[in-house]
Amino acid sequence: MTDPTRFPDDPELTRSILGRTSGAPCARLRTLACDLVDGALTPDEAALAQAHLDHCTACAILVSALRASADLLPALADLDPGPGFTARVLWATSLLPEPAPSGWARLLQRPRIALELAYLAAAAGILAFHSPAARLLDAWRAPVLSSPLGASAGNLVQAERRTVRAVAGIFVAPEGQPPRPAQRLLASVRAWPRPGDAGDERRGEPEDTPPRPSPQTRD
Amino acid sequence: MELEQLIPWVRRGDELAWEAFVRRFQGRVFALAHHYTDDPEDARDLAQEVFVKVYRNLHALPDADGCLPWLLRITRNACLDHLRRMKARPTFGEVPVEELAGLRTTELDPEAAHLDAARKAEVHRALGELTDLNREILLLKEIQGLSVEEVAAILEVPVGTVKSRSHRARLELAEKLAAAGLGA
Repeated sequence: MTDPTRFPDDPELTRSILGRTSGAPCARLRTLACDLVDGALTPDEAALAQAHLDHCTACAILVSALRASADLLPALADLDPGPGFTARVLWATSLLPEPAPSGWARLLQRPRIALELAYLAAAAGILAFHSPAARLLDAWRAPVLSSPLGASAGNLVQAERRTVRAVAGIFVAPEGQPPRPAQRLLASVRAWPRPGDAGDERRGEPEDTPPRPSPQTRD
Repeated sequence: MELEQLIPWVRRGDELAWEAFVRRFQGRVFALAHHYTDDPEDARDLAQEVFVKVYRNLHALPDADGCLPWLLRITRNACLDHLRRMKARPTFGEVPVEELAGLRTTELDPEAAHLDAARKAEVHRALGELTDLNREILLLKEIQGLSVEEVAAILEVPVGTVKSRSHRARLELAEKLAAAGLGA
């Protein structure tokens, strides 16, 4: 049984009324179409959009195409490059040097790391001993040396010098005494011929070869 | 092996892990390169170039979440450099259906597979008719599945631009597909 209060749909009448009031709602549907396909609309918005689609063929085709593209686009993400591709990539990367390590390990494997560290240490030393900051450090130290603690530090220095003299006495005899064994050994080492000595030049020559005249003799 | 577990092995230079990594991502890299160049041989060369670059920079390999966007960014840059070298813009011409049959699909029925490949070829052709930015947004967001933020970072455009352009690009593509009879 049909509802006597409802008349059959008349698209022309609807278009005419909308044309005189809000205009065609297709533009509004276009703003909602993507969210409708993604299921991101509220139930009310989805119902209104669906009601429009039931009567608008152009929008229904558009939404249908949107649905088709939403299904098809992700399928285009992965394409088989062919059977030999992996082997080709692995061959190409096998020709490369080992991959560089990461972080600090990479830094430490730099070929000139020792040189760079030495340079940094030298720079740090120069800054520490020749910069104005070093002078400030000396000025800060001075009162400490003049304090009683500084005096005790002076005693320590004197004791250290006495120790050095005593240790040297073991190896070096005082004047007027026979030389110590270490001194004798040093003297014998010094007596060894050195490159450039006359005796050294003659080494290797036959014994009957007369000595070469010195420059003075030649004159 | 999950990507989270695989990546530390790859970073350490393990050859088997590297092979697994290549196998996992080669299809994605090749597909994106193919969409840019529209030439399977160029795409293969570019995909290989991308993996060589990745191998040289394994210390910079991001964690699992950032891995795909990083790879796609390298791929895109390689493709743009290639196109610049070729002094040509992406052509996106007619792609033979047979060529897109290489797309991974679960279809077993040959007839259905051919139909599917024809539809994909139609989408590929329609993509070629979009503007550069709209096409790139669809390639990265809708096809490769990157987030709006990741696409914006790769394309170096604001997030809002990607959002608004994405809707517009999808509608534009749908209109072209509808005109080709795909939405009927």
